[in-house]
Amino acid sequence: MPQRSVLVIGSGPIVIGQAAEFDYAGVQACRALREEGHRVILVNSNPATIMTDPEVADAVYLEPLTVPSVERIIERERPDALLPTLGGQTGLNLAVELFEAGVLERNGVELLGTPVDTIKLAEDRERFKHKMIEIGEPVASSAIVTKIDEGLAFAAEHGYPLVVRPAYTLGGTGGGIVYDEHELSETLESGLAASLIHQVLLEISLLGWKEIEYEVLRDGANNCIIVCNMENIDPVGVHTGDSIVVAPSQTLSDLEYQMLRTSSLNVIRALNVQGGCNIQFALHPERSEYCIIEVNPRVSRSSALASKATGYPIAKISTRIALGQTLDEIPNPVTGVTKAAYEPTLDYVVVKIPRWPFDKFPLADTTLGTQMKSTGEAMGIGRTFQAALMKAIRGLDLKRETLTGSALAEWTGDQLDAVIAKPNHERLFAVAEALRRGIAAHRETEAIARIIELSAIDKFWLYELLELVRMEERLREQPGGEWGERALEAGYSTHSAGVRNAVSFRMVDTAAAEFPAKSPYYYIAHGESDEMRAPAKEAVVVVGSGPIRIGQGIEFDYSCVHAAWALREAGCAPVVVNNNPETVSTDFDVSDVLIFEPPGADEVEAAYRATNARGVMLAFGGQTAINLADELARRGVTIVGSDRRSLDMAEDREKFDAALHRLGVARPEGKAARSFREARAIARELGFPVLVRPSYVLGGRGMEVVYNEGQLASYAESAPPILPDAPLLVDKYLRGLEVEVDAAFDGEDILIPGVFEHIERAGIHSGDSISVYPTQTVAPEMEQRIVDVTTAIARELNIRGLINIQFVIHEGKLYIIEANPRASRTVPIIQKATGVNLVAAATRIALGEMLRDMPYGTGLTPRAPFVVVKIPVFSFAKMRGVETILGPEMKSTGEVLGIDERFAGALRKGFIGAGVRMPAEGARVLVSIADEEKEASIPILQRYASLGHRLIATPGTREYLQAAGITCERVNKISDGSPHVLDLIHDRGVDLVINDALGARELTDNYRIRRAAVEANIACLTSLDTARALAEALENTAGPPRTLQEYRCAQTTKSSP
Amino acid sequence: MKPAALFLADGTRFDGHALRYEGIALGEAVFYTGMTGYEEALTDPSYAGQILTFTYPMIGNYGISETVAQYPRACVAGAVMKRIAQHPSHHQSRKALGEWLDEQRIPTLVDADTRSITIALREHGTIWAALAAGEEAIARAEAQLTDFVRTATTKELVPSVATTVEHVEGREGGPRVVLLDCGVKKAIIRELTALGANVTVLPYNASKEQIMEHDPAAVFISPGPGDPTDLPQTIETLRSMLGQRPMYGVCLGHQLLALACGAQTFKLPYGHRGGNQPVKDLRHGEVIVTAHNHGYAVDALSLPSALEQTMVNLNDGTNEGFRHRDLPVAAVQFHPEASPGPFDARRLFAEWLQDLV
Repeated sequence: MPQRSVLVIGSGPIVIGQAAEFDYAGVQACRALREEGHRVILVNSNPATIMTDPEVADAVYLEPLTVPSVERIIERERPDALLPTLGGQTGLNLAVELFEAGVLERNGVELLGTPVDTIKLAEDRERFKHKMIEIGEPVASSAIVTKIDEGLAFAAEHGYPLVVRPAYTLGGTGGGIVYDEHELSETLESGLAASLIHQVLLEISLLGWKEIEYEVLRDGANNCIIVCNMENIDPVGVHTGDSIVVAPSQTLSDLEYQMLRTSSLNVIRALNVQGGCNIQFALHPERSEYCIIEVNPRVSRSSALASKATGYPIAKISTRIALGQTLDEIPNPVTGVTKAAYEPTLDYVVVKIPRWPFDKFPLADTTLGTQMKSTGEAMGIGRTFQAALMKAIRGLDLKRETLTGSALAEWTGDQLDAVIAKPNHERLFAVAEALRRGIAAHRETEAIARIIELSAIDKFWLYELLELVRMEERLREQPGGEWGERALEAGYSTHSAGVRNAVSFRMVDTAAAEFPAKSPYYYIAHGESDEMRAPAKEAVVVVGSGPIRIGQGIEFDYSCVHAAWALREAGCAPVVVNNNPETVSTDFDVSDVLIFEPPGADEVEAAYRATNARGVMLAFGGQTAINLADELARRGVTIVGSDRRSLDMAEDREKFDAALHRLGVARPEGKAARSFREARAIARELGFPVLVRPSYVLGGRGMEVVYNEGQLASYAESAPPILPDAPLLVDKYLRGLEVEVDAAFDGEDILIPGVFEHIERAGIHSGDSISVYPTQTVAPEMEQRIVDVTTAIARELNIRGLINIQFVIHEGKLYIIEANPRASRTVPIIQKATGVNLVAAATRIALGEMLRDMPYGTGLTPRAPFVVVKIPVFSFAKMRGVETILGPEMKSTGEVLGIDERFAGALRKGFIGAGVRMPAEGARVLVSIADEEKEASIPILQRYASLGHRLIATPGTREYLQAAGITCERVNKISDGSPHVLDLIHDRGVDLVINDALGARELTDNYRIRRAAVEANIACLTSLDTARALAEALENTAGPPRTLQEYRCAQTTKSSP
Repeated sequence: MKPAALFLADGTRFDGHALRYEGIALGEAVFYTGMTGYEEALTDPSYAGQILTFTYPMIGNYGISETVAQYPRACVAGAVMKRIAQHPSHHQSRKALGEWLDEQRIPTLVDADTRSITIALREHGTIWAALAAGEEAIARAEAQLTDFVRTATTKELVPSVATTVEHVEGREGGPRVVLLDCGVKKAIIRELTALGANVTVLPYNASKEQIMEHDPAAVFISPGPGDPTDLPQTIETLRSMLGQRPMYGVCLGHQLLALACGAQTFKLPYGHRGGNQPVKDLRHGEVIVTAHNHGYAVDALSLPSALEQTMVNLNDGTNEGFRHRDLPVAAVQFHPEASPGPFDARRLFAEWLQDLV
C-alpha cells in the first residue's frame, strides 16, 4: 500500500462514559498506522493523553473537536483518509458530521473502515430494529402508541411487564414499568398527557434478563471472529458501564454461547462493519431466548476491557482492517506464530468493577440505571471468579479489602433489601451482607432465594459470593492457617488472609497455554507453578494509579507510561503494576513486564521480588502509589526516587511547617481544632474567610471555604464529627492568585519547565481551575522567587525526582499551599507545552543520574512564545442532583487544552474545546451575583453588555446592575411565581448562565438555577474569574490551527541564542 | 477431601482432590481449550481412552442437562479440572457435574494446576498417563502406569465406542445415506437428519457389500477416537468404493478417506482439541472458526494429485479438508456439527447433501 496521510480523531476530554480507553485505542491506532508507513495526523483536545505526544503522531493538533476546527485542519493538511472509529462516540459523531457537511468530499478524504451508513444505522433505533427484523435477529418488540386501546392490544400480544416511554418529555416523566392491565392503562394515560406530541413508546421489558456482550471483529473480506464475550452480574437494567462484568460468560451453556456467537456474526455482517464492534444481548434466564439490545460499530470501553481481558489488541487489529488488511494475513502479536484470525481462549477469569464518584458528591442520586455514572473501573484477573472479583474489589482503592465487615453490618434488613432491589454502588456489598446474615441464621438457601427475588442476580454468582462470605467469617474467627491459604487463592490480601505464601505469576497468552506466548503479560496466582521470566536487564517497578476517579485521572497514567519509556531508554526493564483496563500503561507493549494486579503492597512487593528489581518508583502513580511508601519500606522493598522520609515530611503538617519555617517561606496561617467550638475561636482569631478541612483526608475531600460564623455552623452540622487523632484544620483563606509548578530535583540542580497561573483565585481546587502557561500576570521577580522557593523546598524535603508545589500570591507576597513529592495533573501539560520531558528527567534522577548530564537543561526553562490554557470539563449532566459550584473539592472529570500564539486565542480555543458554545451577539446571559461579589462583577458584566449580549437577572441583581448603568432585563425569582427563572432556562430562553452564589450549601434557588442550566445543556459559570476569562475569549479571535510540532519548532528557534 | 493425582509417563505428577468415586484411569493425557461445552466433550466418543484436562478453570457452572450428551455415557477415561461448580445454575441443569461424573464412574482430578499440566503436555507432546482418585488408587497408580505403557495401544478404541448393530435414523423418503460409525457423535446424526436425510448407521467394519445392500446415495464416515491406520479394513472398503458412491468424511472419517485415496497421516505433537481453530477455506478465501478434536492429521504434502486441498489450518498449516478432483469425495478434519464449538461450518452438511438431490 502506498504511503498515505491519515487523520485520527481522538475522544476529547475525559467525561463519564468516555475515559482513558480511547487514549489506549488511539495510541494503538497511531502505532499501527505508522508501522505501515503512513503519516498520522492526530486531533484531540485532551492534553493528558499519550496519543497527543509528538512522538506518537506525525502531526498533533491540540485543537477543539468541532466541525469548523477540524475542517480547518483538513484544509491545511489535506489528509488522504480519516479513521473515525477509534475516538469513541465523540470521534465517531464528529466524523459523521464532517461527512454530512461535505467536508470530507470537498477535500477528497476517504473514510476508512466501517462505512458512515453503518454508523448511522446503528444509531437510529427504528432503522436498526428494521434491519434486525430483516435478517431474522430478535429485538425487543415495541410499538408507538397514541391511544390506550392500542397499548392494551400490544400488551395482549406480548404480555407483561412492559416499559412505557413517553416521547418528548423532560427526564422521562410519565413513564415506567407496568406489570398488569390496570397499571398499563394508568401509566398510558399519564404518559400520553406528559408527551408533547401525545405519543408513547411501548416496549417489552427485558428486566431480569441476563446481559451479555460480544466483542466482534470483521475484515473487508467478510472474515469474522469473536474476541471475547462477557456476562454482567447485574441483569439488564443497569448500564453496562455501571455493571460488574465477568469475562468470559460463566452461566451460558455451549449452545447459548454459540447461539449468541452466531447471532453476533450475522449482525456484524449485515451491518457491514469493518473493524471492531460491540454487541449487547439480553438472554432470558429460563428460556434461552435472546434479544439484541444495541450495537456499537466502533472500539469502545468494552473493547478495551476485552483487549486487556484476553491480550488481543482490538484497536490495533481494527486499524489494520481499516487499512484493508485481512485477519488471516495479520500476525497475532501475542504468540507471534499464529494469525489475528484467532478467537482467544482464556484459562482464567476476569472481573471488572466500576469506580463511582459518589464519595465526592454527597448530594448525588446514587441509583444505578440506564445513565452511566462511574468514572473508571478496576479489573481483576484470577484463576477463579472469586480471585478475580476480590482483586477487582481491592483494586478500587476504596480501602475495602473484603465483601463484609463494612458499615453495612449496621443496616436494617429493609435497607439491604432496598439496595438489592434498586441498585446503587453498594449493591454487591449489600448482597454479601444479606448472605452473611443468612449464614448466621443457618438460612443460606432462603437468603439466596430472597436476593434472587429482589434482584434477579443469577444463583451462580450468589453461591460464589456465599463461599467468600463464609471464608471471611472463618478468617474473622481465626486468621491464617488453611483458610488463610485458601483466602490468598481467592484473591484476598495477605492482611485479610492472615498468612503469607509463595506467589506464582501466570501468563495471559490468548491461547490457554496451547501455544507459547511472547507477551510479557502476567497476573498473580497462589498454589500453582510460576511462569515469570525475569527480564535480563535490570528491572525497575513502576506503580500505577489504578482506576480513574475524580482527582486521580489519566494524567498519572501518562506519567507512568513516560516513566516506563524512560526506563527503557536508560537500558532498564520497566515492570508496570496496574489494574486499570482502560489505560495505555496496561498495554503490554509499554513495559518489559506487565503485572495486571491492584497496585497494592502485596502485589508490588511480589513484582519487585520476582523480577529482582533494583527498586520501585511510586512518584508517577498518584496518591494511590505514594500511600504504599511506608508499608513497602517496612517490607524491605527499595524505593527509588524520593524516599519515604520526603513523602512523610510533605504530608505531615507539623514537619512540613517546621521545614518552611527553617526556609523562611510563608504559608497561610492556621491551626488544628479539636472541636467546632475551638474551630470557631480559631476562625475569629484568623478572621473570616477561613478554609476548613478534616486532617485525615487528602485531595480536598470535605474541604470548604467558610465566610462567616453561620456557614461554619452549618459546616459543623453536615461534617463528620471531629475525632481526637484527626483534628479539623482551620486556615486563613487567602483569596489571591494561585500559581503551580512541577519540577524535578536531583539533589543539586532543579529543572522547572514552567510556571502555571490559575484564572480562578485560590479556593477553587487546582484541578477545577483554568490554568495558563506561561504566566500572564506574574512579575519576573516573583517568578524568580518561585524558582528559588521551589528549589529550597525540594532540597529541604530531600526530593529525588518530581515535586509539585501550589502557591498563592496574596498582596504581593508568596505563600505556599501544599507540596506533593510526585507527578501531578499538570505534568502532561507542561511536557506538551515546553517539550521538556520532566518525567524522563525524574526517572533518570531516580536511577542516580544528574540533570546536568541530561539534555533537558536546569533552572527555569525559557518561556514558550505561545500560550496554553487548560480548561476543566465536568460531567454534571450525568450526575443528577450534584452541586455544580466549584470549591476546594475537585469536581471535574477531565480537561482540554487551548493553544494559540495569544492568551485570548488560547482561551477561546479552550472554551470551545470544553464544549462551551460561544454566545453570539444578542445572546441572553442570565446573571446571579452574590452580594459580596456584586461590586467586582460590574466591569466584567459591562464587557458582556458591550459585546451586545442581553443580560437577564432576578430583581435584586437587576436593580444593582441598572444602578451601575448596565441594561438588564428582569425575570421572576422562583418564589415570585411562574414564569420564573427556571421556566426561562427550561424553555431555552438563556444562552449562558453566570451564577456565583458563593458558599452555597443547600438546595437554594441558585443551586436550582445551576442544576437547571446543566440539565438544559447551557454553560454555567460559577466564578466571576471564569466569566472574565470568557469575556476575554469572546472579545478576541483565535489563530489558525498549528501542530504541536510547529509550536515546538517556533520555541526552539526563539529560545536558542 | 480425598486426594487425587495425575501421573504422566515421564514421571511428572500433579496433585489435587478427588470426587466421591475412587479409581484409576489409564490413557493418553490431552487437553481441551473450549471455555464451554464440557458435557458434550466428556461424552464425545473421540475422547475414548483419553484423560481430558480442561484448560478453562471453572467447569460445571451450568450443570449437566442430559440433552446435549453426544453418547449414552461418558467416553473419557478420566477428567482433570481446576475448579468444579458445586452449585450449578441453568434452567436445563438436571444435576451437578460432580454428581454425574461419580455416577459415570469417571476418575476425576479437581483443584489441579491445569495450566501447568497443559504446558507439560504442550512441551512433551501427548503422553500416556494415569489418573488416580483416592489414596488407595494413588498408591498403585505408578505401577499400573508402567505396565500400561508397555502394552498400551489405540487399536481397541474405535470398537469400544462404535455401534455393533445397524440402525436407521431420520424420516423415510429422504436421501438414503449410510453412516459408517467409528464412534459417531449424536450431533452428526442430528445435522444429517435435520436436513431430511434417511441415515442407516453401520458399524465401522461393515463390508462393501453390506454398505451397498442399502443402495445409499452417499456414504458418510464418522469421527472417532485414535489412529486411523488402526482400521486397515475400513480403509480398504472405502478404497474399493471410490467412484461407486459419493463419500464424505469428518475428522477420523476425513483421515480414513485420505488414506483410502493414497495419502498419509501422522500424529500431531499434542493434537487440536477445542472450539477456536481458524481454518481457511481455500476455495472461497474466507476464514471460519471451527471445533476440533483430533490427535492425528492428514499430511498435506502426501495428498495424491487426484485430491485437492480445500481447507488449511491457520495456526499450524495442517490439512483441514480436501476433495477429489474427479469424484464426489470430500472431507474435513474439523467438526462442522460443532457440539461443542462454533457453527461456522454447519452449511457443509447441506452442501454435501445438496449434491445428492
